[in-house]
Amino acid sequence: MKKDISIGVIGSGTMGSGIAQITAKHQLNVLLFDVEKDVLSSNIKRIHSRFDRLVEKGKMSEDECEDAKKNILPTTKLEEMADCAFVIEAAPEKIDVKKEIFKKLDEVCGEHTILATNTSSFSVTEIGSITNRPDRVAGMHFFNPVPLMPLVEIVKGEKTSQQTIDLLVDLGELVNKLPVTCKDTPGFIVNRVARPYYNEALKISNERLASIEQIDKIMKVSGGFKMGPFELQDLIGIDINYTTTESVYGGFFGDSRFRPSYDQQRKVQAGTLGKKSGGGFYNYEA
Amino acid sequence: MERNQAGGFIIMKPSTDQKTLYVVGSEMIAGSIMKDIEKKGFRLATKEELERERQNVDLVIETTCLDLEKKKANLQMIEAAVEESTLILSSVLSISATESASFLNNPSRLVGFGILGSWEEAALVEVAPALQTDEEYLDQVSNLLSEFDKEMEVVQDEAGLVFPRILSLIINEAAFALNEGIASASEIDIAMMKGTNYPMGPLAWADKVGIDNVYSVLMGLHRSLGEERYRPAPLIRKMVHAGWLGEQTGKGFYET
Ligand SMILES: NC(=O)c1ccc[n+]([C@@H]2O[C@H](COP(=O)([O-])OP(=O)(O)OC[C@H]3O[C@@H](n4cnc5c(N)ncnc54)[C@H](O)[C@@H]3O)[C@@H](O)[C@H]2O)c1
Repeated sequence: MKKDISIGVIGSGTMGSGIAQITAKHQLNVLLFDVEKDVLSSNIKRIHSRFDRLVEKGKMSEDECEDAKKNILPTTKLEEMADCAFVIEAAPEKIDVKKEIFKKLDEVCGEHTILATNTSSFSVTEIGSITNRPDRVAGMHFFNPVPLMPLVEIVKGEKTSQQTIDLLVDLGELVNKLPVTCKDTPGFIVNRVARPYYNEALKISNERLASIEQIDKIMKVSGGFKMGPFELQDLIGIDINYTTTESVYGGFFGDSRFRPSYDQQRKVQAGTLGKKSGGGFYNYEA
Repeated sequence: MERNQAGGFIIMKPSTDQKTLYVVGSEMIAGSIMKDIEKKGFRLATKEELERERQNVDLVIETTCLDLEKKKANLQMIEAAVEESTLILSSVLSISATESASFLNNPSRLVGFGILGSWEEAALVEVAPALQTDEEYLDQVSNLLSEFDKEMEVVQDEAGLVFPRILSLIINEAAFALNEGIASASEIDIAMMKGTNYPMGPLAWADKVGIDNVYSVLMGLHRSLGEERYRPAPLIRKMVHAGWLGEQTGKGFYET
């Protein structure tokens, strides 16, 4: 059943296209924004082919697929977001870029539009403070890959109203995600509580108490984790993992619980980033 | 099986057909080892047997965790009760094997081991030789663990080894987050299971493995390495003092 709600999505990259995909699939109108027309159209083509694959796998009917595709409209003008009920921002993780987007959205969007950011590392409060509606600004933090990961963190800034949080929780449920709410603190829940899985594994390896192979094996066999900390870093990208650690460490003003590892930094400096570069903690070259 | 409150050691006598073990311990793990020992058809010796005469047993398992004074006393009591060459497998959740071995006159026969949670459910046991340990004792541990159908992983010696150390730090971070009021216990647990595929939420996991054990690992690392990084979350410390240890006491982060 088509729902008469429009969602603006800012940025059509990894996260933005995932958010647009699940939103359109759940019969909501999506206005997908990107700065470059051709980037946008090629990203929309990618979303379309993902819908096609769902049809092939029997997870979606032909009709549903056509509807979902029609639900996504491209735009390169933020002004067109004026009538959206929600706008979810998934632009690059640069504070100046985000602040500029929120300033503009605050100007062009209707009074009731809720503005949400998918930021992983910035304060939602800081982003909200650039607008004249900080009560209607919150975090809506999805996980990669968006269509597969069930969780979404709904982040309450200092001035975010409870109504805004409630509406975003409803929106999360509408697109079949599991929303959990949390306060605006560094790393929110997941990126913070997951740090020791990587950081302590790196420290144990650095202290030569066990090899990376041993650590991965022990965490899988004794802990029941699907992947060991080093395999997982290789999959996520060691650079991405390192950046997250650095930002949480900074957010806590250098609390030693989050101190990054120079071994990990060396991998990043060497461009040995994991699977995507053919090697990380393990070698993936054929 | 009656548990002796004196401390936390288990003695096993595999030299005859029916192997004899002796168990003293109040830790959760001591209880679960005892159960497994019975299941495997070994005999549990009594405390009186041990006190009567110096026993020729082949193995002692010692599990004292949090109270290091008691651990030292227990190790010395074991040393007085068994032959000088007897292997002592000692839990190193909260102290290194090397430091534990230093309490003994013959430190070469101590080997550290660590699991977090139930012994019966553990498929793998991490084992760490002390700096003083003689190689032959590691072979004995290897034989013993295969009798228990456990896989052995030999790592280097430091309090908490690998899995207990990493899991305790994850739980500690979840407890800090809970204490700061960023989300509820169940929200934190759901987030970790659904946002990053954890097999259990960290706080429910703490209740299962015992909050006293998690606290032991954190205290052990904090004391041994002297880094603020290992400071136990205030909430965990208080829960241990209040006797809210998780499933074993019916109350932890959740009520059971
Ligand atoms: N990738 C992840 O695993 C992940 C997970 C959770 C949250 N996030 C967050 O999501 C956001 C987006 O990350 P991503 O991985 O999708 O990045 P990305 O680089 O894949 O996508 C960013 C998109 O934004 C577009 N863009 C560039 N400048 C812009 C501007 N000024 N205004 C609007 N759009 C612009 C780019 O063309 C690109 O399509 C970031 O805030 C990131 O922290 C990422």
